[in-house]
Amino acid sequence: MEVVSWNDIYTVVNTRVSNNAAPDILNIDTFADYVGDDLLRPIKDFVSDETYAKFYPAFIEQSNIDGTIWAIPDLASARAMYYNKDILEASGVDKVPTTWAELKDACQKIKAANPDVYPWGVDMTTDEGQACFAYYSWNNGGDFTDASGNWTLNSAENVEAVEYIVGLVKDGLTNNDPATQTRYDLQELFATGKVAMMIGPNQISNYVAGKENPINFGIASIPANEGKETASVGVMDRFMVFDKDDTDDKVDAIKTFFDFFYEDTRYSEWVIMETFLPATSTGGEIMAAADPDAASWIDIVGSAKFYPTAKAEWADVKQGVINVEQQALLGGNVQELLDTLQSQIAG
Amino acid sequence: MTETVKKPVSVKKTVLRLLLYFVVLDVCIITLYPYFAMLCTALKTRTEIFEGISVLPITAVWSNFIDIWSRAPMAKYMLNSVMIAGGSTIIAMLCGIPAAYALARMKFRGQTAFLGFVIVSQMFAPVVLLIGIYQVMQVLHLTNSIWGLIFINAAFNQAFTIWLLRGTFMGISADMEQAATIDGCNRIQSMMKVLLPVAAPGIVTTLIFIFINAWNEYTVALCLIQDDLLKPLTVGINTFNGYNIIEWQYLFAASIFAIIPVVILFMCIEKNLVSGLASGGVKG
Amino acid sequence: MSTKTPAAPAQQQAQAAPRLPNPGSRKLFRAIEPYIWIAPSIILMAIFIVTPIVKVFQLSMNKVTRAGKLKGFNNFENFTSVIKDPAFAVVLKNTILWTIAVVVISTVLGFILALILNNEFKGRKIARAIVVFPWATTLVIQASAWKFIVNTDYGTLNALLKSLGIIDASVNWTPNPTAWFTWEIACGIFVTIPFVCFCVLSGLQSIDASYYEAATVDGAGYFQKLFKITLPLVKSSLTVSTVLNIIYVFNSFPIIWTMTKGDPANRTDTLVTYLYKLAFYNGKQGEASAVSVIGFLILLICASVYMVYTLRKGDEDL
Repeated sequence: MEVVSWNDIYTVVNTRVSNNAAPDILNIDTFADYVGDDLLRPIKDFVSDETYAKFYPAFIEQSNIDGTIWAIPDLASARAMYYNKDILEASGVDKVPTTWAELKDACQKIKAANPDVYPWGVDMTTDEGQACFAYYSWNNGGDFTDASGNWTLNSAENVEAVEYIVGLVKDGLTNNDPATQTRYDLQELFATGKVAMMIGPNQISNYVAGKENPINFGIASIPANEGKETASVGVMDRFMVFDKDDTDDKVDAIKTFFDFFYEDTRYSEWVIMETFLPATSTGGEIMAAADPDAASWIDIVGSAKFYPTAKAEWADVKQGVINVEQQALLGGNVQELLDTLQSQIAG
Repeated sequence: MTETVKKPVSVKKTVLRLLLYFVVLDVCIITLYPYFAMLCTALKTRTEIFEGISVLPITAVWSNFIDIWSRAPMAKYMLNSVMIAGGSTIIAMLCGIPAAYALARMKFRGQTAFLGFVIVSQMFAPVVLLIGIYQVMQVLHLTNSIWGLIFINAAFNQAFTIWLLRGTFMGISADMEQAATIDGCNRIQSMMKVLLPVAAPGIVTTLIFIFINAWNEYTVALCLIQDDLLKPLTVGINTFNGYNIIEWQYLFAASIFAIIPVVILFMCIEKNLVSGLASGGVKG
Repeated sequence: MSTKTPAAPAQQQAQAAPRLPNPGSRKLFRAIEPYIWIAPSIILMAIFIVTPIVKVFQLSMNKVTRAGKLKGFNNFENFTSVIKDPAFAVVLKNTILWTIAVVVISTVLGFILALILNNEFKGRKIARAIVVFPWATTLVIQASAWKFIVNTDYGTLNALLKSLGIIDASVNWTPNPTAWFTWEIACGIFVTIPFVCFCVLSGLQSIDASYYEAATVDGAGYFQKLFKITLPLVKSSLTVSTVLNIIYVFNSFPIIWTMTKGDPANRTDTLVTYLYKLAFYNGKQGEASAVSVIGFLILLICASVYMVYTLRKGDEDL
């Protein structure tokens, strides 16, 4: 249970990242459920106006249920495409792929030039497969929901997206077992030059550069289908406060804590140390000024799309799309699988 | 079989003997291979591991074994594991010995029911009960506490303890204890002075068994313990199975440290273990 | 082995009881004394096992929100929705396959290994110590090691076979879910053999050598001796280890969780990993508890059959 009560807040802030549990999945999935059970208090009660104004509005909006903001983000990360410059060059791929057709073409060239290298890294495992769905759905103009928040899991765009990526796997253009190879495996393989391109979080840069004999890599936007906008996937971790009939003193103490925590210099140092991205625009400015590499990431995170975690069905949807991907890998019909999932979720 | 050993050596016997050594050697090699692979990996650099070219490390990086002590509070994990395993063993024995004694030496209503209950209690694995266990621990304020793990491990080892010790006690004639009671010992004294020394092999086996089970327990500890400094070794070494990277070299180096104490324990009691299980292996 | 001593007769128990002032209270004490002896054990199990079990039953019968709040009895809806899910049939089949494969194969291999290790030979002590290794290793570590060994891209199995010249290019040892499940079963067998082996060894040690001598005089061959003498005499230690193993293996979690997490699409899930995902990934605690209860009932039926069977056997022995 990673929803932080006031007593534990210091411990959790200190241990959560060193903990095995990935911050991506810490408390996101249960957030809407706590609201549903009336366990939380609106976060605005606990945050001073000054601190509240620092957050990226798009981030705050992710914790909006029925017009009330229930949580504030503490850390964020974003995803982009990583590619191995040397492998691309050696395989005769002159232009970093930006569309699906180019991506497939590049994969085929890499495969032909170097059969031992996996051209494209895909992770459809139980812990991460929902990201895979998002990468292709969002870059095909699809989404989990429509503008008014109704589930649209079996939209034509989503079917096409899943078919595209499953097709790449079946054509042998990716790692061979996306259902059990995690993104940790993939990034290791990427760092050793065995995966040519993959989508990954900003932390990969530090990780790859930190190795002996680092590979020569570049970062680019996630390829989108022809004529579609590219979209990054953002992930964040958040604070929420349980409703325990707190006294005014306690509320003030929590406010003081948040003011302290989000104080710009201290906050950006902490975020840098944890190799995440800031959730406040002021923190982002400090980081961008300090490090040009970070600047491009901060641009990405500022415009990233997020999972619909404020919806109560999200946990089911997440496991559902992962199951669809894995079934499709085993030969299932994507349209039928998504139709079934849609009817289960939307009723 | 054993009785063939001391007879004159024939060709057939020699062939059988060679075959025996061959099979034993194979079994040992297969058994040790995962440990060999772990050791080799623990001695490699991160880069070398993922190149996956040779089994043996090109140059052994012994510093991995030193690094883990500074990269994670290994000593603390080790101490926690010792406390959890030791504490569980003591509590399981304190509760289990009297129960096994009562089952072996007394007749009472509900005896069969109690035995049945003991077996049924084993049919839920701790992982199945995690939600329930977590809630009980919250009520008792034992989440994030070593005591919580001690009690859980002790409880989940009751069945084996009672069952094995009951068999051991039943295999020992009650005559001596009766003689002791005639000499004026009460029941507790006669058990402590007469029965337990005779039952020592069975008791040692049980002790070791609980100790190892508790030492190796993972799932409940993972769920109950949040504070890094309270984690047992099994959970703690997952630090190297980290958020961003899996550091196989450190994971396996730490694993080897976790295995050593248990293997030494096992080797010490190997003889005891067999005879202990023998005396405890009474039907049902 | 099996030297069942009947419980001491009642009058001797009376002597053992502390001397109490009057016969009435002594009688009372005698009646409640056994319960005092078993009380600590009962209290321990009641708090830490029975309460969680009750909780699981309660959750399985109730509508439970994701945050864990009970919303009242829901007419066994948790059970029906679990059983209706097509994944459940796959998972149940896997569980049965997993349990039978691991228990049967490890029992056979463990038995043979015990026969081998029961011979006297140089280095027997070392061999026995080595055989114990997998038992003494945490399953999570053991499973991580196996996962690492069979990895296609950097596993040491490929590296080993390549350096021995057996294969030229890396082989994908886990091309499909069946292959994964087979590796998981192999790992399960690997860690279960030592326990069986030592249970059987304990049985073998208590066999009187004179049985074999007599049989040899009668001209019995090795296999005749094996089936006529050895097997019947170690039967009780074998049943003991088999029953315990059925329970342990059925409920085993770390091997499958570490290697595949039940992926892809539940093809390698067993009931335990499936319910773990239901509870902690999907937040469906009610349905997860229903799966627990179903698993429990399956085991209970198996165990009752076993107990009825052995109890009847026991009567015949008397």
